[in-house]
Amino acid sequence: MSSNNMADPRRPNKILRYKPPSTEANPTLEDPTPDYMNLLGMIFSMCGLMLKLKWCAWIAVYCSFISFANSRSSEDTKQMMSSFMLSISAVVMSYLQNPQPMSPPW
Amino acid sequence: MAVPQVPNMGSRHLLLIPTLLLLLALPVSQGRYTDDFDDSEDLADFDDNDFAEFEDMNDDQAADAETASPPHASQSSQPEEDEDEDEATVELEDSQDGFDDTETQDQDIYSKYDQEEFEGIGDMEKTGHSMKDPLIIHTVPAHLQNSWESYYMEILMVTGLLAYIMNYIIGKNKNSRLAHAWFNSHRELLESNFALVGDDGTSKEPVSTGKLNQENEHIYNLWCSGRVCCEGMLIQLKFLKRQDLLNVLARMMRPTCDQVQIKVTFNDEDMDTFVFAVGSKKAMARLQKEMQDLSEFCGDKPKSGAKYGLPDSLAILSEMGEVTDGVMDNKMVHYITNHADKIESIHFSDQFSGPKVMQEEGQPLKLPETKKTLLFTFNVPGMGNTSPKDMDTLLPLMNMVIYSIDKVKKLRLNREGKQKADRNRARVEENFLKQTHAQRQEAAQTRREEKKRAEKERIMNEEDPERQRRLEEAAQRREQKKIEKKQMKMKQIKVKAM
Repeated sequence: MSSNNMADPRRPNKILRYKPPSTEANPTLEDPTPDYMNLLGMIFSMCGLMLKLKWCAWIAVYCSFISFANSRSSEDTKQMMSSFMLSISAVVMSYLQNPQPMSPPW
Repeated sequence: MAVPQVPNMGSRHLLLIPTLLLLLALPVSQGRYTDDFDDSEDLADFDDNDFAEFEDMNDDQAADAETASPPHASQSSQPEEDEDEDEATVELEDSQDGFDDTETQDQDIYSKYDQEEFEGIGDMEKTGHSMKDPLIIHTVPAHLQNSWESYYMEILMVTGLLAYIMNYIIGKNKNSRLAHAWFNSHRELLESNFALVGDDGTSKEPVSTGKLNQENEHIYNLWCSGRVCCEGMLIQLKFLKRQDLLNVLARMMRPTCDQVQIKVTFNDEDMDTFVFAVGSKKAMARLQKEMQDLSEFCGDKPKSGAKYGLPDSLAILSEMGEVTDGVMDNKMVHYITNHADKIESIHFSDQFSGPKVMQEEGQPLKLPETKKTLLFTFNVPGMGNTSPKDMDTLLPLMNMVIYSIDKVKKLRLNREGKQKADRNRARVEENFLKQTHAQRQEAAQTRREEKKRAEKERIMNEEDPERQRRLEEAAQRREQKKIEKKQMKMKQIKVKAM
């Protein structure tokens, strides 16, 4: 026992490589926020485009920003960019079709 | 229009004045003076004739002024025709030059047609006419207005987005600083204990990267390996989502703190068989419900650790008393008592398989894979408002982790304890098999019943009585065969028993 305290506890021969924990084993531990926000963003931007609602388009922009902030580094950037571009295009299209400013709900 | 008082006028002239008025008023009121006066030559001639007729007569010159003013009045009703108004005023001024001095004293009514007041008459006549034809002033639509103020909602939105982006950058930087502060304070200890500090699993050679893996903007990983007693240690720095403004606002309602989670995995020979947990009361209650092994092996409610000198805020879950005695030696108690506020949970288990998995109906489960593990969850002090300096206070806790690793390697249950532990594990396994067996049997039973029902329905539906009889006989024969088989089996078992 004393020799252990004096000696170096490191053992290079016992090195094990890092294995990223598989997400299939524990899907409940994953944070679903970026996926939900992505979906919401797409839905709102489609609503904004089809129904020409400006506030929908703005909320879509916010959703895509939130999704980006919460995303994991392993996630595909293409997905993020596509939802972001879609929401921006929804905002731009709403204003091109109807340049009047947004009226507040009150 | 007032009829002028003309004292020295004969009846002949009285008739002429109204006729002249009519003659002048009609074309003037209908016409639109869009062109210069030169174009409407007829009117000019007409006017000239009028002036020519009444040139010598003082009284008629007064009428002149009057006739001149209605054209001007009717002209003034069209406010766009400024040009013609000016021309008319010029003409009238010219015509009035002659009799200004003589007439103004006698006739006050004509004062309003004076040169000085002539410009004002347009306005007076205008207001008179505006009462008849009200001007409707339309509001200019908002997008045609050149004012940014009407777009205030959009400006609000953009400001909100900018605020979000600012918060993202600030939060990301803060988390990064905290992570690096933690690593800098713990680097020495880790490097003296582990051969491999920092590995992302991608490089060919197992060389220490010497830095944290960034999984997220708020989660950092570190894998350490190459030590006696243990296989490896995974450290997860789970910070708050400072980069997400929504999360920041939510945390204002419900404060939470950053957490450091450490998971040490053991080889089979390095750890004895026991399940133990200590931590805050809330955490213990939650873990007992959530964790597969704690719920199976530590059935009792969390006990107070006052017997060992632990503060009241902490509770213990243990498989048996001997395990608690073994783990809670003086040094451990010392560590835990000094840092009780930072300890969320400490969980030692040889049957660790993660949280309980929700079983689906009718699916037989395999026994979940277990691994000998030590789990530590520490709360970073500051309740969200942490500064990089606070990371140094976690260093003693890392010392505790290292101490625990060595201790668990040495900890061995005595014979009684070992037997108890083995029995527990056997019991759990049996229960599990029974459950799945029961499930499987139920499934088979339901299938058999369904088959029978289907057959009976077929027999009932059969219209032909002969076929019905034949099917019934076939069913009866099958049942008899089954009964015979069972009887044979029973006989065999009896013979074997004997």
